[in-house]
Amino acid sequence: MSAGTAGKTGIQVSPAHPGRPVKPRHGAQVGAAVVVLAAITVWAGIGVQINIAAIWENWSNASGNIIQLLQPDYGFFPKVIPALVETLQMAVIATAVGSALSLPLAFLASRATNPRPGLLRATRLVMNIVRAVPDILYAAILVAVVGVGALSGVMALILFNVGIIVKLVSEALDGEDPGALEAALAAGASWPKANRAAMLPQILPSFASQVLYTFELNIRASTVIGLVGAGGLGILIDNVRSFFRYHELSMIILSILALVLVLESVSSALRRKLV
Amino acid sequence: MTELKTQPRLAPARPKKPTSMLRNALWLFVSLVIVAAFWSVKIKWSALGDFPTQLLKYIGLMLVPPDWSKFGEAFSATILSVQMAWIGTVLGIVVSLPLSFLASRGLAPRVVNAPLRLIFAVIRAVPEVVIAILILSVTGLTPFTGALALAVGSVGTLGKWGYEAFEGVDAGPKEAVRSTGGSTLALIRWGVWPSAAPDVFSFWLYRFEINVRASAILGLIGAGGIGKMLQDNVQFRNWDAVGMLLIVVIAVTMGIDQLSGAVRNRLIHGYWRIPKAAR
Repeated sequence: MSAGTAGKTGIQVSPAHPGRPVKPRHGAQVGAAVVVLAAITVWAGIGVQINIAAIWENWSNASGNIIQLLQPDYGFFPKVIPALVETLQMAVIATAVGSALSLPLAFLASRATNPRPGLLRATRLVMNIVRAVPDILYAAILVAVVGVGALSGVMALILFNVGIIVKLVSEALDGEDPGALEAALAAGASWPKANRAAMLPQILPSFASQVLYTFELNIRASTVIGLVGAGGLGILIDNVRSFFRYHELSMIILSILALVLVLESVSSALRRKLV
Repeated sequence: MTELKTQPRLAPARPKKPTSMLRNALWLFVSLVIVAAFWSVKIKWSALGDFPTQLLKYIGLMLVPPDWSKFGEAFSATILSVQMAWIGTVLGIVVSLPLSFLASRGLAPRVVNAPLRLIFAVIRAVPEVVIAILILSVTGLTPFTGALALAVGSVGTLGKWGYEAFEGVDAGPKEAVRSTGGSTLALIRWGVWPSAAPDVFSFWLYRFEINVRASAILGLIGAGGIGKMLQDNVQFRNWDAVGMLLIVVIAVTMGIDQLSGAVRNRLIHGYWRIPKAAR
């Protein structure tokens, strides 16, 4: 706001020689923002009990652990493989089911493709709620509902995926050129047909790229949700951690690292092809 | 018109849809992987049969009614997680901003770029919980450990998004600074930062939103907050308390998303407005 008025007065004062434009002043706003941010940071810092001194005090006993971590127990690798495979399976299934569910939902959640305001608002509200729940909460609840194991993990990941993909794809739909859609509607197509013929082809590359991105997220997430018993590497991490077997923990971390780096390079190569 | 009538021409053939061997092979491969995953995974799919009734039962246990006496506890647990996320984001920003300048091609030598990019990639590959387990022995079981783990995780993503944004800015201003004899610092301040800043701010906000969700997990290993309360109550099957926590988490997270969307609009478009997608 202040930018507009400042610019205007600058022009009015010197209409004859248009010297250097007056720089808009945001000083007060920036100052206020800095004060607010600093206050929040101090409040949060007190809340999480920032304690730099403890780091120095614990350093000696920590260094032992770190040395252990730097020497992964390669003999443990055969035991990592089944968990690693399960993590991959969970990620693949959850991504496939999640993306299949997301595509129609994304069309319902976009202003550009859903002509009914009531349905649009309801879809968005539900999707916002789905996205607000952390994946670990889903996993903990689903472990109770369907029991310990990969199924609860897969279902938690599906919910997580639907939340992300619907948001990203519906935003992409909002930003698409509506020309083709309008043409299809003008030619007498119903909304579903027009969406199918005019919007779907436009959105497919970005949809595919979001699916790949979600797949990468799933690999990481599925290592985590195992901590509550939902299958995959997490269960193994939890076992090893509670007995302080740091050599084995570092072997697990190393294999996650290798898996994620390989998949990430493949998927980014694929995405470059797609987009 | 008449000319067209008198000389009827064959309608041009409908163009053939281009087919690509690579694309077909890719689709085949993807389908095979999915089928193989379904085929091989150790899941009793029959458990899905009574899933709806079970789900209804647990939703009833959790939400009809939630344990309102736990509201205070749930709220302070959620706030603690948000505080962890905030400190993690702030520390992550402080560390990642200079690093992402150093990781940008053209702003620092390649010898510096490459190792930093590798470090970012490695960090991104490790989940925050694992980072927390690693630094647990140094900092002890406190929320601060959680915040530090989120900070390290944030450096991985913010660093990457940062250098991508800095490398993507329009070359014009950069050339202008260079041609007037500006140093690298001047180049960063006047050639790169002004065009990249809105994007970078919005990455910070986005990472904060991610951290709010990720901080829930860190409680599971004892860093406190949502995860701790979740674990305590799931262990003793206090489902109505879990339901209360669920409601508070959803409300607080959605509130933060709206707020951060409004701030993002202010930073990018210059006016306050709650984003369209949220309404």
